Amino acid sequence: MASEERGRGRLLHNMPGLLQASLNPWLVRVRNNPERLAFVLHRVTGVIILAYLVAHIFVTSATVDEALWESVMGALSGPLSRVGEWIVAGAVIFHGLNGIRLILVEFLGLGVGRPERPKPPYVPPSLRSGQRKGLYLVFALSLAGWALAGVIMFAG
Amino acid sequence: MAEKEWGRLPEPPREVVLRVKRYDPERGRTWWQEYRVPTYRGMTVLDALLWVKENADPSLSMRYSCRMGVCGSCGVVVNGVPRLACQTQIAAVASRENPVVTVEPLHNHPVVRDLVTDFTAFFEKHRRIIPHIVRRDMREVEEAEYEFLMTPDEHLSIYQYSLCIMCGLCYSACPVAASDPEYLGPQALAQAYRFIVDVRDEGYDRRIAIVDTEHGCHRCHFAATCSAVCPKDVDPAAAIQRLRRIVFLRRLGLWRKRKVAPLAGPLEKPLRRIRAEYPRHNLVEGADPERQAREPVDIDFREEWLRE
Repeated sequence: MASEERGRGRLLHNMPGLLQASLNPWLVRVRNNPERLAFVLHRVTGVIILAYLVAHIFVTSATVDEALWESVMGALSGPLSRVGEWIVAGAVIFHGLNGIRLILVEFLGLGVGRPERPKPPYVPPSLRSGQRKGLYLVFALSLAGWALAGVIMFAG
Repeated sequence: MAEKEWGRLPEPPREVVLRVKRYDPERGRTWWQEYRVPTYRGMTVLDALLWVKENADPSLSMRYSCRMGVCGSCGVVVNGVPRLACQTQIAAVASRENPVVTVEPLHNHPVVRDLVTDFTAFFEKHRRIIPHIVRRDMREVEEAEYEFLMTPDEHLSIYQYSLCIMCGLCYSACPVAASDPEYLGPQALAQAYRFIVDVRDEGYDRRIAIVDTEHGCHRCHFAATCSAVCPKDVDPAAAIQRLRRIVFLRRLGLWRKRKVAPLAGPLEKPLRRIRAEYPRHNLVEGADPERQAREPVDIDFREEWLRE
């Protein structure tokens, strides 16, 4: 609990911090905000992809010997690592699809609605415009793609 | 913020338990305190806090002023959502099954005492984006003789953002502000956008240089919670995305201000002066018809107003 001298009392620094903000989509329990869930998932899947990438580069660069390569591949073909690969596949699918949506929204300002004269019940344009439909599409396609990846990886 | 029960709130429970997160700056101690508050129909969270201050615990500190959602002083976190205490009905956040209302100080702002938060840094960020009309020739604003011309459509493009009351709820809800204390925040960035697209303004290059930084508009990750909690429907999330588009296109040399509003200038036709007529019947108390007849008043009117 960092605090700062100010006159007689101290100010309490009241910030949830990076971990809380990145991992807890219910830090603010507001309704009508799936963008927050997408924000948290985007961060988490990004970290998963980064971890996989680093491990992948390490494994493929360290195992130059053919016998060592075979043994490592044998160790990595167990059911637990298959599940891990399936999770990485789901992370890549969601991160990629949501990334397309974010590029359209953040660089081109698409799908956030037009400014308007506010009327009750005060639902802002950005929460009911194209990007929201895009977000639902991203969720649906990610789930479908993840299920498809599971079918290909475990049934095949 | 959208209220789902808008217009059809149930009766609040007879008595609610108000759980308040308190902070004592002298001892540096934080604790939760519970108060049992009798309610009535139409009671707000601010009313409940004031009831506690008047009847149960005079040491409870909070900040409020207008009690009607205009001043933006009474932002607190009610049941995990940043809201204006004066606009939040007890009946909307408590029910007979769950009569507990938790009240915390706003997140991401330093706490001075109990529910009072320090807005110095927040206002400083607002000030940093130059929140006023900037002209090449500042005498046009400082020694203004005439207004700037603006069409209703141009006004509508900034009207929503100009409703901001600086209550700090968006900043409190923002996940980026929760981890980066330097981040300008949704409020300041939305105001930067509001002034950059304002046709009366010419200071866009200065403002773009201020927001085009690591802690400026590029820090936003579009969690859109700022728009979801805004009590005035200001929609900072959309403003920041459009601001970022302007900054992006400006870097590529593709954006320039299309139009800068000119001064209105003197009237083409002089106004017509007419003698004002006072009502002779149903006079208000204290009005003196004879004195009014002795001291007539002339009013300037436009021709077209007289025709109507």
